Amino acid sequence: MSTLTDLRIAAVGDIHLGEDARGRYRRRLEGIEQRADVLLVAGDLTRHGTLEEGRVVADELRDLPVPVVTVLGNHDYHSDLQFEIASELRDAGVIVLDDDGVVLEIGESKLGVVGGKGFGGGYAGKCASEFGEREIKNFVSHTRFIAEAWKVALKEIVADHRVVLSHYSPIKETLEGEPPEIYPFLGSYLLAEAVDTVGADLILHGHAHRGTEKGITPGGIRVRNVALPVLGKPYAVYCMDGAC
Amino acid sequence: MEAPQYVAARVQQALAEDGRTNELGIRVDVRGDQLFLRGQVSEAGQRDRLGLVAHEAAPELHLHNEITIVGDVFDQGEDEHLD
Repeated sequence: MSTLTDLRIAAVGDIHLGEDARGRYRRRLEGIEQRADVLLVAGDLTRHGTLEEGRVVADELRDLPVPVVTVLGNHDYHSDLQFEIASELRDAGVIVLDDDGVVLEIGESKLGVVGGKGFGGGYAGKCASEFGEREIKNFVSHTRFIAEAWKVALKEIVADHRVVLSHYSPIKETLEGEPPEIYPFLGSYLLAEAVDTVGADLILHGHAHRGTEKGITPGGIRVRNVALPVLGKPYAVYCMDGAC
Repeated sequence: MEAPQYVAARVQQALAEDGRTNELGIRVDVRGDQLFLRGQVSEAGQRDRLGLVAHEAAPELHLHNEITIVGDVFDQGEDEHLD
């Protein structure tokens, strides 16, 4: 355990556990309490979003020695069982954010985590607009709704540190390595704009397996793409206020 | 004869939409009668399934499954200090 307001945040996304991962993933997290105070998981917990896979994830994350906060990713929605999967995770003691926030007391430090799946649309100057066909308007308005919810949740959080946890990316810098043609399906600047408006210490996301770990929002907030293939290790650890 | 770009697109769609794989991040390239798969997945079983689904989608091509496994890494490396 770190002291005062020091904080060590472990983070990973896109772990994509199938049923064959049962009993195998957890060993990657052995000793995590020696390295971090909390584990944040940035969505795509499953491969196909089945309830069986959701149960594997719940069992692999159950009773870890540090608190676990997660959001779901697009894979976790694939079988239309996202609510059931979230319920399994919550029953296992995992905090699942769905465009809302939580405050964790870690030692003498309060960590606020806000987030959800996020969504796409693209980045400023090269993005979709709420115009034309109903399908396009629905696509963009879904992201706007999420961004507004995050803004509200961030304003309500009273904590020493505030971290935003997303699956989709708020900036394009952490997508570098992905084909630019698919950026609109990997995230939206509306997410960054919302967080920049209120402020946070760090934004974590996944989704872009071929992307880049480090970036920064236009407002100066650090962004980290913690997709497992990007990290190349079981999780990253980010230290605040001199921790580590 | 189908243009190689359309064959690659068809294989990529299969990898994303087939319930055995549902993998979105694999690069698919067709050169002549050769089909190349590149990218990273977390375990060998998924790599094998991707190869199988790709072969079913384009059985006439010679498959090179160059997907790498990243999941079984235990070396934590350095922590990052955000100051």
